[in-house]
Amino acid sequence: MIKVKDIHKSYTKETETIKGVSFEISKGKIFGLLGPNGAGKTTLMQIIATLMKPTSGTIEIAGLDPAKDLLEIHRLIGFLTTEIKLDPVSTPDRLFDFFANLYDIPKGEIKARKEKAFDRFGITPFAGRRISELSTGMKQKISIAISLLHEPPIIIFDEPTNGLDILTSRQVTDYLKELRQEGRCIVLSTHIFSVAEELCDEVAILVDGMIVAQGSVEELIKMSGEKDFEDAFFKIYVENHKEER
Amino acid sequence: MKKASIIFRWELNKIFSNWHKTVTLFLLPAVLMMLALNVFPLLINYMSTGSFIKKPIVLVGAPKSFDDYVGETADANVYSYTYMTYHELAEVYGRKNGIKNLLKGGTVICYFGSDNGDASFDKIISDYYQELIKGNSNAKSNAVIFLGYDAESLTGSLRAQQFKQGVLNGYQSSLIDRLGGEYANIGSNLFSTDSFNPVTKLMDNRSPADMAASRIVPGVLMIMMYYCVYSLASDMFASERERGFWSKLIMTPVSSIDIFFGKILAILVIVSGATYLTALLLFLSSWFNTGNDAMSLLPFGMMLTPSELLIVAITIPCTVFIMTVACIATVFSLNKMQDITINLQLPLVFFLGDFFLQMFRGTRPMTLEYFIPMHNSLALMSETYQAQEKLWHVIVVLAVNIVIALIALRVIYKKEGLYDKSKRHS
Repeated sequence: MIKVKDIHKSYTKETETIKGVSFEISKGKIFGLLGPNGAGKTTLMQIIATLMKPTSGTIEIAGLDPAKDLLEIHRLIGFLTTEIKLDPVSTPDRLFDFFANLYDIPKGEIKARKEKAFDRFGITPFAGRRISELSTGMKQKISIAISLLHEPPIIIFDEPTNGLDILTSRQVTDYLKELRQEGRCIVLSTHIFSVAEELCDEVAILVDGMIVAQGSVEELIKMSGEKDFEDAFFKIYVENHKEER
Repeated sequence: MKKASIIFRWELNKIFSNWHKTVTLFLLPAVLMMLALNVFPLLINYMSTGSFIKKPIVLVGAPKSFDDYVGETADANVYSYTYMTYHELAEVYGRKNGIKNLLKGGTVICYFGSDNGDASFDKIISDYYQELIKGNSNAKSNAVIFLGYDAESLTGSLRAQQFKQGVLNGYQSSLIDRLGGEYANIGSNLFSTDSFNPVTKLMDNRSPADMAASRIVPGVLMIMMYYCVYSLASDMFASERERGFWSKLIMTPVSSIDIFFGKILAILVIVSGATYLTALLLFLSSWFNTGNDAMSLLPFGMMLTPSELLIVAITIPCTVFIMTVACIATVFSLNKMQDITINLQLPLVFFLGDFFLQMFRGTRPMTLEYFIPMHNSLALMSETYQAQEKLWHVIVVLAVNIVIALIALRVIYKKEGLYDKSKRHS
């Protein structure tokens, strides 16, 4: 579904944030990008989500080229991030309708999809309330419901559980598992080991803008010779991280 | 375009469903402008007289000619008048400390009288001119005006002096027109208007009112426009980028051009509407100022012809457009919200400076000024209020502002590093 080939990204001439990243993700899989803060996860996620152009390299999404078929690609992608804050004076109801209209969802279908999504996350009782009056967890659930209202086959989720309480966090991870079972292709970035361990079929460890190791959690543990995933990550990180002078 | 219209309606809905924003955008600036127009004259009044209120003058036996003069003369309107008959004054005089109390706080008594107790002040003056017409060169008028004030009070003595110079001297000069009859034709024109008549008054006042409006109105509108554009652009672009909502929007299958178009159109409609409302309020504040207060910033009689009105009406959205693009450029060229806010507020200082320069400048705009984006709108509107606009002014202002705005939009679009979403292959 997603093919990333030799992606480079520089914000300035002197520094390169992403240094030649390549990977492929197939349907029905969850691919995790694991790395510390500043490793380039968010930049890479934004490049995959076509929010940002790479300096060089190519991306192919469901066989489509972002340079040519961007709008079509956007119908296939659902992009989520915990950093998104919805318009505080709007209501979940109005936001859903607004985005559904932008995705050309037929009017008759909007109501059905809204009911389904709002019931799934328990948003229905709050549908008419202002976003500013809702809890952080509820806002995140609304954000998920809106981002996936067009039922995209590819989901890109930047730090899915960041800043969420344990209950909402659990609901989000359960939902991601459901989506995988439905055959969706999911890319998520995280710096939380338990999330990567629990959800990802394949994990790429990103250090200083490069993928230094890639495989299933078990394969990475085996590769590092450590007992658990956390130790494996730290060993891989220390071996590959270069201190900046 | 369908998507642009969805975004346009969404943005309008966002503003009008939030009464805080609606009030802030539409009512607050208009109310502030009205307040400024009324408070500013008060401040000038205070600076020149040391008092916020109109200075009290007690008129005793005021003749009709003086009433007429006060009604028509701006300088006479800075005083508040209390009327008293000779009999009432006599009663006050009879009381203990009556006159002293009356003159308290710098009040001045202006007494119109004569040594011929039976004749009215106007009659005596009129008779005097009749005598002059008859060729009686020795004719003398025994009409007198006394000014009474507390000599120990500096305010009282200054006020009496000011009143004499500012009002009484002018009144005396006007008497030949008012009461001179045939005699007035020799040295002066007959006075024609003595009561408020919108048509004659408009003819008399239009020119000075439009001159005053050309100094005030364009600057006020420019500040108003930028204030609204800045508020909306902060919300629609800067805040949405900071919240990450912008990413969510550009991840939809909507071209960036449609997103920009929908949002810019919403700003154009809202700000133009708010500016038209302010212009209307300024127009009304001139038209309701029938007393023509000397301290008023907008005297009675502001008037635009339909073609002038059209020029102002076109210049407003054109200016809003370039201001919007300037704000978008600021938002997209900076990353930190704090920097964006400061940089968006800076032009307000420029527009304020431009407003004051326009208010006090004594020259017409130079040709070069029509090529300076945004400032050229102020120059054009100012010239339009003075009926000095030319067709090439209008063409240059519209062309310069629109072309520069479009070029800037293109640069922003490219600089953003977005994929060209306008290429639709599906």
